[in-house]
Amino acid sequence: MRTFFTIVIILLSQTVSATEQAEEIFAQLTPSLYQIKLIDKASGEKSSIGSGFQISADGIIATNYHVISSYARHPEKYRIEYLDHQGNAAQVSLVSVDVINDLALVKREVKGDMPYFNLSDKKPTKGEKLFALGNPHDLGMIVVPGTYNGLKKESFNERIHFTGSINSGMSGGPVVNKIEQVVGINVATSGNQIGFLVPHDKLVTLFSNYQQQTNIDIKAQMAGQLMASQNKLMAALINSNWQSKELAGKALIPIIDVPFIRCWGDSNADKTDALILAAIANCSLDENTYLSSHFFTGSVEIEYRYMQAKNLSDNKFYHLYQQQIARAGAGNRAGKDDVSEYQCHHDLVMPESTANTKQAINNKSIFCTRAYKDFPGLFDVLYLGASIDKNQQALVSHFTIAGVSRENAMSFTGKFMEAVSWK
Amino acid sequence: MEVTKEILETTTEIEQTKTFTSANLPTDACEVGEIIIEEITRNHKLLHRHRVKQSEVSIGRGYQNDIILTDPHICPAHLSLNYSQGAWHLKDNDTVNGTLLENPKGKHRHAHQQEVRDGDIIILGKSQLRILFNDHQVPETIALSPFESLIDIVRNPIAVFISIALFLLIAGHISYLNQLTETNVSQLFVSAFSLSLLFALWPAGVALVSHLTKHDPRIFAQFGISFSFFVLMWLSERLEKIIAFNSASDSNLGLVFSLLPVGLAFCLFWLNSYIGFHVSARRRVVVAASITVLLFGGSYLLQYSKKPEFSPHPQYNATIMSPGFLIYPSNNVDTFLEQSNKLFEQTTKAAKKD
Repeated sequence: MRTFFTIVIILLSQTVSATEQAEEIFAQLTPSLYQIKLIDKASGEKSSIGSGFQISADGIIATNYHVISSYARHPEKYRIEYLDHQGNAAQVSLVSVDVINDLALVKREVKGDMPYFNLSDKKPTKGEKLFALGNPHDLGMIVVPGTYNGLKKESFNERIHFTGSINSGMSGGPVVNKIEQVVGINVATSGNQIGFLVPHDKLVTLFSNYQQQTNIDIKAQMAGQLMASQNKLMAALINSNWQSKELAGKALIPIIDVPFIRCWGDSNADKTDALILAAIANCSLDENTYLSSHFFTGSVEIEYRYMQAKNLSDNKFYHLYQQQIARAGAGNRAGKDDVSEYQCHHDLVMPESTANTKQAINNKSIFCTRAYKDFPGLFDVLYLGASIDKNQQALVSHFTIAGVSRENAMSFTGKFMEAVSWK
Repeated sequence: MEVTKEILETTTEIEQTKTFTSANLPTDACEVGEIIIEEITRNHKLLHRHRVKQSEVSIGRGYQNDIILTDPHICPAHLSLNYSQGAWHLKDNDTVNGTLLENPKGKHRHAHQQEVRDGDIIILGKSQLRILFNDHQVPETIALSPFESLIDIVRNPIAVFISIALFLLIAGHISYLNQLTETNVSQLFVSAFSLSLLFALWPAGVALVSHLTKHDPRIFAQFGISFSFFVLMWLSERLEKIIAFNSASDSNLGLVFSLLPVGLAFCLFWLNSYIGFHVSARRRVVVAASITVLLFGGSYLLQYSKKPEFSPHPQYNATIMSPGFLIYPSNNVDTFLEQSNKLFEQTTKAAKKD
């Protein structure tokens, strides 16, 4: 009985101390916390909200890129405003962005030096208690305690896995440790106490780059970041080990051996009435880059599909097979203002690597691409290869890559086409 | 001047004679002319033809007339045509609705006391009569076209049966290909049969129209020709598919073959009109061409109007067929990449344009 009480008391005291700590942190940091609002100029009403925090005495406020993305894409349509804890609102200017890590810096006018958040100089340790600050759903500033759980596994761009509730509207708010230093920025949630943060070192880099060069053309900066990011991603994909793997025991497909590409499989072996037996392997990059609510890039999707006719004539098998491949779509969302329309080329192609062997495959290959309007040199590409050399079997190899340079697209496509064959 | 006067006087004399003694005067006492009177519709389609060898021809609704017309807008003794001195003159008997003469050029004039010439049309009431003399020039004989022998083959009941049977087979095959579940033969038959019925509407419709326009419907020939062409069109579509399957996207061969169905459709409409209607060759070509343009242009317009301003989906030709239809050799990856490389320039240009 006594032990029980002791435990209860210890638990209670800890909760109390956590609450106290949170209150204290909140009270001290509130003056440097802001709500960031995007105001539609024509209607005068806010079109999106998020949080932000001041990181320098002269009025630099950090937030998420996605909070102010509409302004970055269409500066003539919107203006950005801050709202501080006393209810003062004023316009701010966008000074720098990092689209890959979803960060942005805006600058407010200041009369004198102001209090600001210190950026931590070291990473938190696993299990460390952190406090996320922000303004969820426009309900007012709150503080949410949570735990640091290391970096998200299998991610190409680093994200901190934070166990605690992060809700929309808190985006762009800071996450601090016990000594009130910023260790991350709220960016996303996948519900049920799983939140994701941008590590603070990305903000440190962005801020120090800004201090060196203050007059930045946002569009050119974004173009440069997208180009550099795809170069890094494609180099990682092209230069890593491509494992040759069997699909349904009949075909050989390449599986790119990098942790951030994850594969899933499915088949219709349980459906006895299906006319065609199909086995599908899907590999994709889990993350993408947000440019605006209708424009995403940076995604990679690869799909292999093996099909085997069951009691079908060759003609009917190929007729149904054609329906399967007739409507491949883009892997990312993009609109009329963002990209050109797709243009395609198709031909019969037999990769040389397996020609004249038992593995030889003859494909109808289709390659499509569309160009980005605001980021010259970047393209969305789509490839689809459909085998046409077996009467009752088919192998479809397909990928889409968004936001890639011509050279990278070509070398990836070449390597991919040579790597797919019959077993 | 004097001569004319004399003639006029003679004419009146004869008329007077006739009015008084028409019953007992022997016909050979008068000049006898030969005239051909055609009852025609307003569209100048022939209804009846009369050949008359008399010096006077009476026309009207009454039963005493030489030519009896039933049009209620015509008077019982409407008009008479009188022959004298090698010419026919028209006499309108003070009728309610009058009589008009139309010459072959389409000009109208009042008919009373006018000379009637070869090819003139007499308009009385709502009826029309065309007057022809026995020396009327007829157009040159048209030689039987080689199509006639082709049509003779196609209208043979066996040939009609074979073409419809072939079409049924094709329709059955198409619905077999589109069936997503296990094949059901009775379903195949029903859908093939209903498709054939649908397609039979065309030759039946053409035959009906040619019957309604007083032509010979020639229903077997229409069916034979139409179904043979439906089969040919399926074959041309098949050929187009084989070409699309084998050739690369930058090949122009596909375009040539995609025009084949247009040509076939034109031929079908031309033959339909050849079988069903007697019209001039030029008019037949115009009619066939307009129906073809209407059909293909209409479906193109329909597609064009449905096309969105911007499509986020790639449009490509994914035609594949079983390996048996593979004719062309395959390229290697490098050639394919080289050709695909051009797309980057094209899309960059397109992106800059808007």
